[in-house]
Amino acid sequence: MDERPISPILKILAAVGFLFLLAPVLIVVPLSFSGEVFMAFPPESWSLRWYAAIAENEKMLAAFLFSLKLATAVTAVNLFVAVPAAYALVRLAPRGGDAMMGFFTAPLLLPSIVLGLAMLIVFSRAGLLATPQGMFVAHLVVTLPYTLRVIATALSTLPIAVEEAAATLGASPVTVFRRVTLPMMVPGMIAAGSLSFLVSFDEVVLSLFMSGPRLSTLPVEMYNHVENRADPLVAAVSVLLVVFTLVAVVVVDRSLGLAKTFVR
Amino acid sequence: MMHQAPTDMTVAAAGPRAGQGYLSLQGLTKRYHDFLAVEAIDLDVAQGEFVALLGPSGCGKTTTLRMIAGLVPTSGGRIVVAGQDLTAVPPHKRDMGLVFQSYALFPHMTIAQNVAFGLEMRRLPRMEIAARVAEAVAMVRLEGREDRRPAQLSGGQQQRVALARALVVRPSILLFDEPLSNLDAKLREEMRSEIREIQQRLGTTALFVTHDQDEALTMSDRIVVMSHGRIEQIGRPEDLYERPATPFVARFVGRTNRFTGNAHGTTIRLGDLAVRAATQRSGPVEVMIRPHRVALAAAGCVPADGLNSVTGIVRRTTYSGDFVQYLVDADGLTFMVEEATVGHGRIAPAGTAVTLTWAPADTLVYEAAP
Ligand SMILES: Nc1ncnc2c1ncn2[C@@H]1O[C@H](COP(=O)(O)OP(=O)(O)O)[C@@H](O)[C@H]1O
Ligand SMILES: [Mg+2]
Repeated sequence: MDERPISPILKILAAVGFLFLLAPVLIVVPLSFSGEVFMAFPPESWSLRWYAAIAENEKMLAAFLFSLKLATAVTAVNLFVAVPAAYALVRLAPRGGDAMMGFFTAPLLLPSIVLGLAMLIVFSRAGLLATPQGMFVAHLVVTLPYTLRVIATALSTLPIAVEEAAATLGASPVTVFRRVTLPMMVPGMIAAGSLSFLVSFDEVVLSLFMSGPRLSTLPVEMYNHVENRADPLVAAVSVLLVVFTLVAVVVVDRSLGLAKTFVR
Repeated sequence: MMHQAPTDMTVAAAGPRAGQGYLSLQGLTKRYHDFLAVEAIDLDVAQGEFVALLGPSGCGKTTTLRMIAGLVPTSGGRIVVAGQDLTAVPPHKRDMGLVFQSYALFPHMTIAQNVAFGLEMRRLPRMEIAARVAEAVAMVRLEGREDRRPAQLSGGQQQRVALARALVVRPSILLFDEPLSNLDAKLREEMRSEIREIQQRLGTTALFVTHDQDEALTMSDRIVVMSHGRIEQIGRPEDLYERPATPFVARFVGRTNRFTGNAHGTTIRLGDLAVRAATQRSGPVEVMIRPHRVALAAAGCVPADGLNSVTGIVRRTTYSGDFVQYLVDADGLTFMVEEATVGHGRIAPAGTAVTLTWAPADTLVYEAAP
């Protein structure tokens, strides 16, 4: 907790960095309160009409609901798969475990456009295109690497002596996992879960490939909307999304300390 | 490397006979690939005995302890407790208590829940668990802190919780792996006597790993000195200190003067000096003399018959409260001499001419290392 003085140059650099990251928000927020029919910055009049318009846009609402359900399901399955997988890779340290971890996290390295194209070809044959199932599998593929990484890292930083202590006190391996390992993994699981939720909710490229006339996610619907019309509706949607994300991050950070789980 | 006991006063090992101990390690071995971390250890510990495993870092103490707890598979040998072979029994069925250097408390549980864990595993009735937890918490003087989390306690308090958690199940054997290393010096000394007191009160058999000779000497009934995965000597603290079986033990336990020389019968030539030992030997030898076994007198004093006697000049005098340490130059050798301070004690300053005397039996002679 030493409070070293921060050099002015560093302060300026930090300010520029923040400005760069926040610039889109600085444009989008005023735009969302525009009273005009076209996106123009700065707006010439102000209103809440575009927020009201969201409520009447059924496609947008349906896409939002679908994205929400999709991200929730994807996150649940992610945790269900990643926790035992990470446990096996880290704690049981099987032969070739590193290679397996590399294989499972490989989708992170592929450009999503390549991944999307590959899935398009495979899924169209399997009749999965533009189905919720296809969308679900696609999102699972891109989120699982994150979840597995975060949980494996969290697990490998847990002191193994605590689990050994439980064993010497008479706990069978299953009991050790249930009563000691799992509870200690909760912060890692929440971090991994929020990450997978946000990645799924935010995913555009794969969703574009997988969507159809009657199935689209919120980002895809926003993209479609912008293509057809140039009104500030998407700005209002974006602001709601930013608020929604911010609240989620603050809640997670307050309850667990997100930084502690990621920075290691 | 075989060393012989330096004197003929070989002390009968105070422990149980081979293979007869409450805890009996028989040829216990651990191999990591082709590295022998623990090499065919034989050790018998009586019920209620407190035995320290003492040795430098990396000599295999932790590995031995973890094999006994079942946390590391053995490469050879047997672990027997109360006549029962536990070598292949998994850790959760061994009924042993282990106290770690890192405390290893359950961070998500309260102190009371930590202590209760082992009792819950044994499916004891709720009432009994509550009673025994209260008793154990009181024993380590942590009443009133039952509902705190480990992170809210100091290091010493956390280690006392770990002790209570291990003791409350009344384990057949209590294992400690350098439990005091993370504590500051004063707390460490308090905890030494606290652990020893509780262990004696409950009559629990204990094996205590440490690299700290003071800890081993002050706490133990017997000490096992290990080096490079092997046992160098097993004995009571005073045996190790006064009659170290090997040069390693002499160096590792306590301070010592070390010389090399040549033996002819009981006479040993150390450069220009001839000293006498109590044992016959011939050829190159290593000689150790404990600094507190050497007496320092004004030069010219006539030594009692039969004592070794050397004259020299004090080079440095270091006063350290309960004893004074002198470095004395004599015939090209430097002797370290320690004298207990007495109330009116006169302290010889540097430059004083002195006579050093010691008994032949205190000249410890070992075969020179090849
Ligand atoms: N898992 C392991 N793999 C390989 N070597 C090990 C392993 N654990 C311990 N060792 C080696 O075995 C020796 C004894 O280790 P240890 O029992 O921890 O020593 P101590 O507790 O006396 O300091 C050391 O040289 C250590 O490097
Ligand atoms: Mg160790």
